[in-house]
Amino acid sequence: MLNGKAGLALCILAGLGAIAFTLFVDSPYYVQVVVWIFTNALLAASLRFVLLIGELNIATAAFFGIGAYTVGIATTIYDWPFLVAIVAAPLVAAAVSALFGWITLKTKGPYFLLISFAFTEVVRLVYSKSNAIGGNSGLVGIFPPMALDPWFPALVVTIMGATLLVLFWIEKTNLGRLFKAIENNEDIVRSVGLNVTWLKVLCVIIASAAVGLGGGLHAYANSVITPGDFTFFVAVLALAYVKIGGEGHALGPIVGAVLLTVAGQWVAGLGMQENIFYGAIIIGAILLMPQGLVGIASRLAGGMFRQGGEKTR
Amino acid sequence: MTSDIQTHEPHEDYALRERGDVILRAEKLERRFGGLVAVADFSFEMYKGEILGLIGPNGAGKSTTFNVVSGFYKPSGGRLWFCGEEITGKSALQISRMGLVRTFQHESLLAEMSVEDNILVATAHHLRSHADRMARVRETAELTGLSGYLHEKAGNLPHGRQRMLSIAIALATRPTLLCLDEPLTGLQGQEVKTALDLFEMIRSELGISILLVEHNMRAVMRICDRILVLNYGRLLAEGKPEEVSRNEAVIEAYLGKQK
Repeated sequence: MLNGKAGLALCILAGLGAIAFTLFVDSPYYVQVVVWIFTNALLAASLRFVLLIGELNIATAAFFGIGAYTVGIATTIYDWPFLVAIVAAPLVAAAVSALFGWITLKTKGPYFLLISFAFTEVVRLVYSKSNAIGGNSGLVGIFPPMALDPWFPALVVTIMGATLLVLFWIEKTNLGRLFKAIENNEDIVRSVGLNVTWLKVLCVIIASAAVGLGGGLHAYANSVITPGDFTFFVAVLALAYVKIGGEGHALGPIVGAVLLTVAGQWVAGLGMQENIFYGAIIIGAILLMPQGLVGIASRLAGGMFRQGGEKTR
Repeated sequence: MTSDIQTHEPHEDYALRERGDVILRAEKLERRFGGLVAVADFSFEMYKGEILGLIGPNGAGKSTTFNVVSGFYKPSGGRLWFCGEEITGKSALQISRMGLVRTFQHESLLAEMSVEDNILVATAHHLRSHADRMARVRETAELTGLSGYLHEKAGNLPHGRQRMLSIAIALATRPTLLCLDEPLTGLQGQEVKTALDLFEMIRSELGISILLVEHNMRAVMRICDRILVLNYGRLLAEGKPEEVSRNEAVIEAYLGKQK
């Protein structure tokens, strides 16, 4: 998609439109929805980035939380300036994910999935049990600098949009090709002299840095974070976005995030039924459109997007 | 041939070279799986520029030997040297980086990716610039007859082309020793001939030695300088094709049972 110049231009245009929306629309609620869309798109894109090497990384939720807590702790406890805190978020997430990846990526498939799930819940429990960082009630009063306040949603959307572009760009480079090769057949990748373990760890580091930055911005945008915001369910939602949008295509997670975030505004009042809604979406998408909406659209468009490295199954 | 290939010194007549430099040496190689002894007491030497065949009935330990030599399995005993350096216990990654590169019997390609990307991935560690990598891709595709298929999805290629692609992937790394695991399986008459011509060319023009595990006896007899025969994980016979094919023990253990 992004090597088609038209596709790239369209994406940037949509991004600029979103930034303009947050600047000029005078409804805090709608602006909030746009910020949520970008946050969710980044979560989904990060989850999908690790899917490039064929692993479902539930810990996407954990690294989102680690980014958020880094900013929360840096701002409310240490009084670090905004710029330092927001740079620290992806760095801390990346560092923790390097260790996490190095230990866990010797496993694959269901084993990695379960470990990433357990890791997410352990990290959440650590927040809950640590009174120094607010325990169960979390951290409050995470504010961006006053001067930034009027433009803050626009800034969040800009940084998140840029991060999404960086993830797509990496997927297009030779490195992205190696990630996909590992998903295809890692023995071959190893046999031609490439360090598969290191490449897998690198993939998780990149995805975690991106989602960690997203978590940091989310903390500022929300002002309040609690351990309950970072359960494995965050990753399940991200999976729903990826599945409905289509995992074979970089645009998939974004399309999914837009649709489900907007749809989610209507089901938000349903309480527990809300989860049924998302569960049904995942199952329905997997059964009825395994390539997702973008997959269907690209087929309808007669391969307009085919260049984008779409997986044809 | 392009200049890149010429960096390897071409050899002349390999059949006449009785004893060149030893490129691969195994000493009392052994590999057990629990109580099962897959390979035992297997010692051999392979010489630079040689095409060495490794044959034997099913379950004789050929694939196990291959996996041990290429580092995908650790040996349970014995020692291995490649180009004078001991590689016993080294990882598959370390060994492939030293220039010992293998193909796989099954799924020896990246099925979801294009032919071009398959070969490109193989060059990633060995060449820095994209231009060099693409040049290597084109050159390798030409050698293996895949030039017209670069943008096809590897999994959609006909079987014969897939086998060629698996060789192309290994070849694109410009190995010192190429280990081919049953590369002729499922190939038709003319395809076998093309493949054998390719092996001969890889050896004579690129100066790459070839260790060949193969079931197609006629092909093995035709192309190999020497043959090692394994039976029940042990070396049964070793020698030139005509010697091996006359060997009583080999005929009894292996050739006699051939359909």
